[in-house]
Amino acid sequence: MSFKMLSIKSTALLSAALLSIGALGAISPAQAVVDCTGATADSATCTVVTIKTFGDVIQPALVSDYKRLHPEIKLSIMKSDLDALNGTGLYTQCAAGGAGSPDIAAVEISYSGFWRAYPQCFIDMKTLRTTVGNKSATDLKKDYLAWRWEQGVGYNDNVIGIPTDVGGLEVAYRWDLFKAKGLPYKRADVSKAWDTWPKFIAFGKRYMAKVSAADKKKNIGFMDNAATIYAAIMNQGTMKYYKNNGTDAGQLVYKTNPQVKLAFNTTITAAKAGIGTRIGQFSSDWNVGMTKGTFAVMLAPAWMMDYIKGQAPSTRGKWDIADIPGGGGNQGGSQLTMPIKKAGMPDHKQEAWDFITWYLAPAQQLKVFQIYGLFPSTPSLYTDSDLVGFKDPFFNNAPTGAIYAEGVKKLKPIFEGKLQRCIDMAMGSALSLVINGKEKVSTKAFAKGLSDADKCK
Amino acid sequence: MSQTAVSRKTNKPPSPWKPAKPPKKLNNPGAVLSLNGKWGYLFTAPFFVMFLIFGLAPIVYSVYIAFFNWDALGTKEFIGIANFVELVADDRFWNALVNTIDIWLLSTIPMLILSIGLAAILHNPHLRGSTFWRTILLVPNITSVLAIAIVFGQLFGRDFGMVNLIIGSLGFEHIDFIQGTTSSHVAIATMIVWRWTGYNALIFLAAMLAIPGELYESASLDGANKWKQFIYVTLPSLRNTITFVLIVGTIGGLQVFAEPLILGGSYNGGDSGQFSTLTLFLFDQAFVAYKWGYAAAVGIMITVIVAVVSFINFVITRRLTGDSK
Repeated sequence: MSFKMLSIKSTALLSAALLSIGALGAISPAQAVVDCTGATADSATCTVVTIKTFGDVIQPALVSDYKRLHPEIKLSIMKSDLDALNGTGLYTQCAAGGAGSPDIAAVEISYSGFWRAYPQCFIDMKTLRTTVGNKSATDLKKDYLAWRWEQGVGYNDNVIGIPTDVGGLEVAYRWDLFKAKGLPYKRADVSKAWDTWPKFIAFGKRYMAKVSAADKKKNIGFMDNAATIYAAIMNQGTMKYYKNNGTDAGQLVYKTNPQVKLAFNTTITAAKAGIGTRIGQFSSDWNVGMTKGTFAVMLAPAWMMDYIKGQAPSTRGKWDIADIPGGGGNQGGSQLTMPIKKAGMPDHKQEAWDFITWYLAPAQQLKVFQIYGLFPSTPSLYTDSDLVGFKDPFFNNAPTGAIYAEGVKKLKPIFEGKLQRCIDMAMGSALSLVINGKEKVSTKAFAKGLSDADKCK
Repeated sequence: MSQTAVSRKTNKPPSPWKPAKPPKKLNNPGAVLSLNGKWGYLFTAPFFVMFLIFGLAPIVYSVYIAFFNWDALGTKEFIGIANFVELVADDRFWNALVNTIDIWLLSTIPMLILSIGLAAILHNPHLRGSTFWRTILLVPNITSVLAIAIVFGQLFGRDFGMVNLIIGSLGFEHIDFIQGTTSSHVAIATMIVWRWTGYNALIFLAAMLAIPGELYESASLDGANKWKQFIYVTLPSLRNTITFVLIVGTIGGLQVFAEPLILGGSYNGGDSGQFSTLTLFLFDQAFVAYKWGYAAAVGIMITVIVAVVSFINFVITRRLTGDSK
């Protein structure tokens, strides 16, 4: 709250003052009310800050808040379906020397390993200072989870991105369906019943044993897609495809890291046990299935809670959140960056930096969590009673804040390398071969995954 | 100058209808040609300028970077023909090629039959509201391909898609269109057929309208019924049009991109690449693997493949519909 009060100062304070005077009738409203809603380009009164984002990174409620604080700033928010995670646009814009770059761009976590290798594509946030408080990225570092912060630091130690939410990964489950099948359904019991992955698979089998043959024919299953287990296990280790050997680039270890094989094999065991419905996440079947109870379990990053609420409002109160097997989980999360711009394009460095620092400050992250469920990346909130005490009625009054905070605290920092995403795709494709029955021998699929990963180099 | 002086002398205002200066050069046909030639170049220049910038230059540049290992942001490393050597040994490339050809066959053949059939129906002089039908045929074609792909993706959904609801109500097991290899190709081919049949039907209709009526008259005098007229008069006259539609369809079919992209939601063409096409593979290499040199090599291979297939197409259609009388 205090942070918000501070940031009202400067120009906003002036306009706020004008506003109140205007309301008193001292000056004409036309002079006082700055309305930049319709602004498409910079003018004497309005500054248009462009933000290229995706999914739920920039939340509308906070955009309205910012508009109230800074009526002179118009946040122009763009999303693209064809470039869902903002990968291609940023890339080509940087290759073109910053032509067409937005003022602010969201970078998804799976791309940050790549961008760390090209810090020249972004403005170094250490060189920027907030209008209020005169703060640079160096001053803000201590507010964020250390490992999340590192994901936005380039090879040359430039700060290229400030962390948004942290994925956090727990399990969302339909307690009503568990209860109907005579399984444990209270969150403490469920968490205890599947505290390891083998136990989770066994739990799934027990669920499937209660599913009638007719329902099985309708593809009703325990969890949405067993393939999601892979990423969950990978993130529970200490390293994925790279080893942090002290260099910027790290060392590729995907062929020798036992965690890769463990994640791969456990996922295949789960798939072969028939506990997944094999529905692709974010497909139309998945959206409908969420409402119809086609599956009772999904591995849910914190940001997924809002998605469930949006897609399956009729299931309100029937969901609950349990701890993820194996302890601690992470999936997703982003960075807000400021791409370089070609000379001659409007310069909004100051406005962009002011917005980023406001939007990602603990006070605003808490609000985003309360409204949308995205979990904050600022650890000072993990003991905040507003977060820890937060209960979500949609999820059967589960203390989601406390559950996700516990999970995030258990995470160990993982080094994200340049080819991370490409290798991930190769391994995912190999997994899918087995899960969909196109390759019977899992060791062969694993070898294909590794050899396809070789082609990423 | 001299003209105005003359007119002042004769005290006559210069007639606006007569050219001020006799266009002497007009009598010289060569001069007119050269004048027209100059203006011609100017008028056609916009196309060539655009083509140079957006057509030729990228093509030349693609050929150039195909010999490099480059991720578009880092440094270029010359590696000779290594990209092509790697490509020929890459099973993902051959998988994409097989998928593309499969989708192309599954879409082109039904589309050809359907569009000629539709054109024949529209060609019927007794058809009422023919303008209406001709217009409505174009509607699928002007619909955004993204919208089509999204709607068809839902139609082909495994659990709640309309196609599977029908299959299920007939007592059969649901088909997982998107995860299956052939089934996903059928789904993509359906979108292409739906989108292009009407358009091609109009092309065939135009060709049919150009067939002289005497041919049909003499055929009916010879006792040929409607079907025989279609086989022996209409089809042979459509030979050139069929070749045209096939070649254009081949070029489009070998570059199918948006449909599989939206159906799968990512550049890998399905979880296990079951409907990865050549262009999708190219895009995947450029924007997921960030290997632009390799992606350029894929692009060159696509060009070669399109040229070869088009040539084979040309020869076969010539033979099939050719002068076998």
